[in-house]
Amino acid sequence: MQPLNRRLKGDGPIGHLRFAAALFATNLKASLAQRAAFAMQVLFMIVNNLVFFIFWWALMNRVDTIRGWRIGDIQVLFGIVAASVGLGGAVTGGVRHLGRLIDDGELDTLLTQPRPVLPYALGLRMQPSGLGDLLSGVGFIVWSGQVSWREWPTVALAVSGSAIVYVACGVVFFSAAFWLGPIESVARQLWDLLITFSLYPEPLFGGLLRFALFTLLPAAFVGYVPADLVRDPTLGRAAALVSGSAVYLALAIAIFHSGLRRYSSGSRFGTFG
Amino acid sequence: MTGRTGKYVAFLRISFAQARHARGELYGRVVFFVVILGVFSSLWTAVAEAGMPLAVEPRAMVWYLAITEWIVLSAPPMHFDIQEAVRRGDIVCQLGRPVSWVGAAFAEGLGLLIARAPLLFATACACAAVFTGWVPPLRVLLVIAPLGMAACALVMALWIGIGLLAFWLGDVGPVSWVWQKLMFVFGGLLMPVELYPALVRRIAPFTPFPSVLSRPASLVLHENAGEAAALVLSLAGWGTITAVTLAFLFRRAAAALTVNGG
Repeated sequence: MQPLNRRLKGDGPIGHLRFAAALFATNLKASLAQRAAFAMQVLFMIVNNLVFFIFWWALMNRVDTIRGWRIGDIQVLFGIVAASVGLGGAVTGGVRHLGRLIDDGELDTLLTQPRPVLPYALGLRMQPSGLGDLLSGVGFIVWSGQVSWREWPTVALAVSGSAIVYVACGVVFFSAAFWLGPIESVARQLWDLLITFSLYPEPLFGGLLRFALFTLLPAAFVGYVPADLVRDPTLGRAAALVSGSAVYLALAIAIFHSGLRRYSSGSRFGTFG
Repeated sequence: MTGRTGKYVAFLRISFAQARHARGELYGRVVFFVVILGVFSSLWTAVAEAGMPLAVEPRAMVWYLAITEWIVLSAPPMHFDIQEAVRRGDIVCQLGRPVSWVGAAFAEGLGLLIARAPLLFATACACAAVFTGWVPPLRVLLVIAPLGMAACALVMALWIGIGLLAFWLGDVGPVSWVWQKLMFVFGGLLMPVELYPALVRRIAPFTPFPSVLSRPASLVLHENAGEAAALVLSLAGWGTITAVTLAFLFRRAAAALTVNGG
């Protein structure tokens, strides 16, 4: 069998995608080695999301709409955010550990590999619970009754765009460790805040807060913009989501590489494979 | 102070000092608190506009949410620390100390709680006052503060119980997610339990969650000396049940660790 690096030729986008797919496959095999733990994480995450939704279900049983949003709209929003967070966790579960890798000098092992550092760091881990999020997210979208089978390519685009912005934000927040040192808990809270904001209907927010949600903490691109695209697909909405996610992805890559130039080695010795 | 309690006070003081130095996390929680309260304030304003019949005014609801969020955010999530101690094997060294391991964990948690809770309570009151333009009578807040602290301590003890499951499960993350969401629903974190469907209302009293969240926070909605006294008894009752459960769980966990060789 050829070594992984020899088989994955090319450093362009296709090469990166192949590399990411190989990392995902390896992580999935490793997770499935402990089947009971894997199944428990997936199942409990689905239960977790269902229990959380009881709040919205109970609330919307008492009012028809909240500023024009019905229960089906909230199910779509909830489904998109859950699916994108799940996709991000399953494919790029290493984001959550990026701050610690930087602060502890553990990027050393990745820097010596013949592969780009950021995709490698992101794909190092997989969160099996992400698959639970992804499944429950799809379940919520189906349950909403607002999406026919013909619209599933649009749903895939919406979830992918949302997941890119979500992961890009994680990279930006955790990359702050290059300059600020141990910021893991603060970065994690900021990232949680992004999810929290994404789960509430857009018309609740106005003024300065609304501006911040489209820029500084781009919850709009994780939740409302992709949810709007699924509820009412137009080329304009698709273009807004694609361009928004491209901008945040480019920003995340630029910030990570800018930080990488400041990175100082942890002088660690260890095995890697 | 006797030597017996002095050991636990030492644990408390060390974790208090550590928490005071880890200011980043505390300020992060404050920011999270401000933002989440802003979201809920907007949500309940919108719900009131939508014509939902509420037994209380939206401004009182914001204060209710400020208190429930204060309790949830102040209680240290001890289960993560316990899980890490079990995973790394640190637990083996800790068990050799001449103290109750659960007691030491609780004392450490109390140190964190005492460092966080006052600032978060001040944040809760300041934010709720700004968002609503209204402040409940001072005597109500003076009753809520100690009862809320006791509720935070009970929430933390419950997290220690979840953490002890790491001895058997290894990863307590999945259990903790579901436990947390059950606390949100049956405890009435986001809205009072009375507004949930009948099934939730029927099950809730058989769980500790209303005593730690909705009942302390409901003192803002309905000022009632009898309810405050009943809450003290309820917290004491659930505290006793939790302490007995923790002792039982830890004895079983320690036995399992001895059998498996650590």
